[in-house]
Amino acid sequence: MERRVVITAASAITPIGHGKEQIVNSLQNGISGVKPLREDELISRFIHSKVYGTVDYAIDYDFKRQYRKTMAPCAYYACQVAKEVLAESGLGEEFITSGKLGVAFGSIHGSPITQRDIYRTFFGATDNEAYKKIGAVDYLKSMVHTTAVNITKMFGITGRVISSGTACTTSSQSIGYGYESVKFGMQEAMLCGGADEYDTITVAVFDNLLACSTAFNNDPQRTPRPFDKLRDGLVVAEGAGAVMLEEYEFARKRGANILAEVIGFACNNNGGDLILPNLDGITNTLRLGLENAKINPDEVDLISAHATATKMGDVIEAQAINNIFGNSPYVIGLKSYMGHTMAACGSIETILSLYLMQEGFIAPTLNLEEIDERCAMIKHVQKIIQHPVRIAAVQNFAFGGVNTALLIRKLS
Amino acid sequence: MTRQEIEKEIINIFRREFEVENPGLDENLREAYEFDSIDAIELLLEIEKLLGFELTQEEKKQAMEIRTINQICDYIEGIISQRSLPGKK
Repeated sequence: MERRVVITAASAITPIGHGKEQIVNSLQNGISGVKPLREDELISRFIHSKVYGTVDYAIDYDFKRQYRKTMAPCAYYACQVAKEVLAESGLGEEFITSGKLGVAFGSIHGSPITQRDIYRTFFGATDNEAYKKIGAVDYLKSMVHTTAVNITKMFGITGRVISSGTACTTSSQSIGYGYESVKFGMQEAMLCGGADEYDTITVAVFDNLLACSTAFNNDPQRTPRPFDKLRDGLVVAEGAGAVMLEEYEFARKRGANILAEVIGFACNNNGGDLILPNLDGITNTLRLGLENAKINPDEVDLISAHATATKMGDVIEAQAINNIFGNSPYVIGLKSYMGHTMAACGSIETILSLYLMQEGFIAPTLNLEEIDERCAMIKHVQKIIQHPVRIAAVQNFAFGGVNTALLIRKLS
Repeated sequence: MTRQEIEKEIINIFRREFEVENPGLDENLREAYEFDSIDAIELLLEIEKLLGFELTQEEKKQAMEIRTINQICDYIEGIISQRSLPGKK
């Protein structure tokens, strides 16, 4: 049994805004959410990259204590976007708690802020008093599926739980596996997404691998620079994104507002190195995505590239796109606006692609001033253009050699 | 510590730590305020602070069936009286 799957609600907390209106405004006006790296009183002073995609606005959380007690910052983000998506979808409580709705949600490693506090206690535990500071809820706050199960608890969701923790493909897998769960009749609906909180450990890891941007520390908004000649690495960021996926007939019959259809998903592995981008692996992902969606390459209007702005990653991705799509679709790197939101990036980039589809324009890759000639064989966007987007492809690649491709289509 | 003092301290703890205002003394805390096993562990830490000594694992396990403020007060009175028996510290 193969069923059609549609998106009926979407919401995101990003460095360029919370919710559609703010985010679209940032995309239309070239506003960046990259700011100076915040002091963490631990390792930030050693980190060479002094930039961070920052959520620096207040969010009006309204969670009761019985929910808050097991929530770290990543779960606050996750539950907030989940709450907004549930409200927007119009699904009633009876359905939400029926077992027909599942959750696919993740973060790259739970809550690093909580983990840091746990280790601080461990290493300082010279007596019983210090030992007892490890709280009863610390594991629940920090475990890798904390975002997913805080959502299930808060809203009484009783369907399946999928919680990928595959670094940068975490939430593209959430949407992909959620899509498959509905497509193959295992759930009627899936709430899918990802969230990551402020975290300097991730910055330090990339920094030590020489993969972080350092040349624009005094001018944060000029980085990251996907596909640009002067790009010098990624910028780590925080945020969250969530979408509601539903079986098409179910959504149509209940009169849901259908935003787009998910028409394909592919996930594979490079089968080798855990870090280096792999042209064969990525090329296969893009081909498998098109096969899964049963469409031709020239039907894709827009590609949201993973485009982290690392030296080699962007070149390999441009080559892979060219191998499969030639020079036909427009290609944009949405991380140029906010940095790399890690677990959230796949869902956020899907949601932003959805917004472009709805609003009929294509946002340029920010900071793309001089295209690197090794990336020049694809159709870049350097200025905002008014152009309808019927089919968009969202590409994400992760440490561990995991690759994903998601394809969404506007319903006519 | 008198029963009245214990009661007052516990109600303060519930207000401060659990955001529960003026609970009924015989109200089922789980049903009324979703007070769960995680909260019970947090409450035991607060009770240790109140008593000024550490509870044993056995004493803590006895607390897991407690459902009301009155039962919490009974439990604390019981601990105080057991500890004051000759041979106990």
